[in-house]
Amino acid sequence: MKKIIPLLAIGFLTGCTSIIQTGDRIERGLTPPDAVNYATTRPEGGFTPQITDNRFGNKIELLAARKSKTDGGYARVQWDLRNGSYIGQTANISFEWLGSDGSVTESQPNWITTPLEPGALTTVTATALKSTSVECRLRILSR
Amino acid sequence: MNKLFLLACAALIVGCDTPATYKDPNGRDLVVSLEKVNIQDFATAGSLMLQSMVSSPAFSKGAPVLQLGMITNDTANNFDTSLLLSKLTVPLVNAGRVTLLENDAVANAARAASGSSANVPKAEYVLKGKILEDRANAGSTRQNSYIFQLTLVEVKRSVAVWTEEKIVTKQGSKNSIGF
Repeated sequence: MKKIIPLLAIGFLTGCTSIIQTGDRIERGLTPPDAVNYATTRPEGGFTPQITDNRFGNKIELLAARKSKTDGGYARVQWDLRNGSYIGQTANISFEWLGSDGSVTESQPNWITTPLEPGALTTVTATALKSTSVECRLRILSR
Repeated sequence: MNKLFLLACAALIVGCDTPATYKDPNGRDLVVSLEKVNIQDFATAGSLMLQSMVSSPAFSKGAPVLQLGMITNDTANNFDTSLLLSKLTVPLVNAGRVTLLENDAVANAARAASGSSANVPKAEYVLKGKILEDRANAGSTRQNSYIFQLTLVEVKRSVAVWTEEKIVTKQGSKNSIGF
């Protein structure tokens, strides 16, 4: 009987799509959903992070924000992100554009899902549609 | 006693149903279907396409006159392709980045009847595309990829000035909710 139980347990785990996915589902069921984090570019360069979920820092690193202009003179920001953990993570990203007075001028509200392999680096490009948009606010959550 | 037990079980099962609630169409609690393109898939592909398209030389100055061409749905699903196109045209028109020509039969007839002397904008660019799907499975795990292809054609020279492909891939053994 003692031998049968571990065998049954192994059979049960093997039957799942993957043990990691099962563990992931259990973890998601037991822990609160990830909160949204923000990072906003600064007029003088660089960006200001607003991390509201402390778990975020253990998963995804915000490396850099590079501001430039398109040929038409519209603002463009490239955000560099890296999966700093040893397991695959998914970065869900959306962004807003702010005017020089801080008001929201435009937004892309839907989440763009970007799966990241361990250690993988990705660049997200946000291009403004309006000439009044000067700073970019990235919304990001991971899981 | 047996009947009571069955009734209690039935009541318990009915109680497990989830009542309908309103959800944010841009939120993270939306249904993810393996067999169809979900509304968030159109939003993802559309916004990625938009970001790519506005970086093309066609959008470097002024508001080009754009006409919508044919978007072929080559998937097994039946959906209106304006679900994708609206993700591009709505922000572009509202930001004044394009002059969008009406594309219905009346508008086309009016343009044809007006002749070249009338003050009617002529299409400078036509946006056309295709939506495809690819299915694969391994055991009970299914994988569906939806491929969104768009091309911006300059009418004057009949050449593609921008083209892009975005793929949304979903994998699993059953539909789920959220990410």
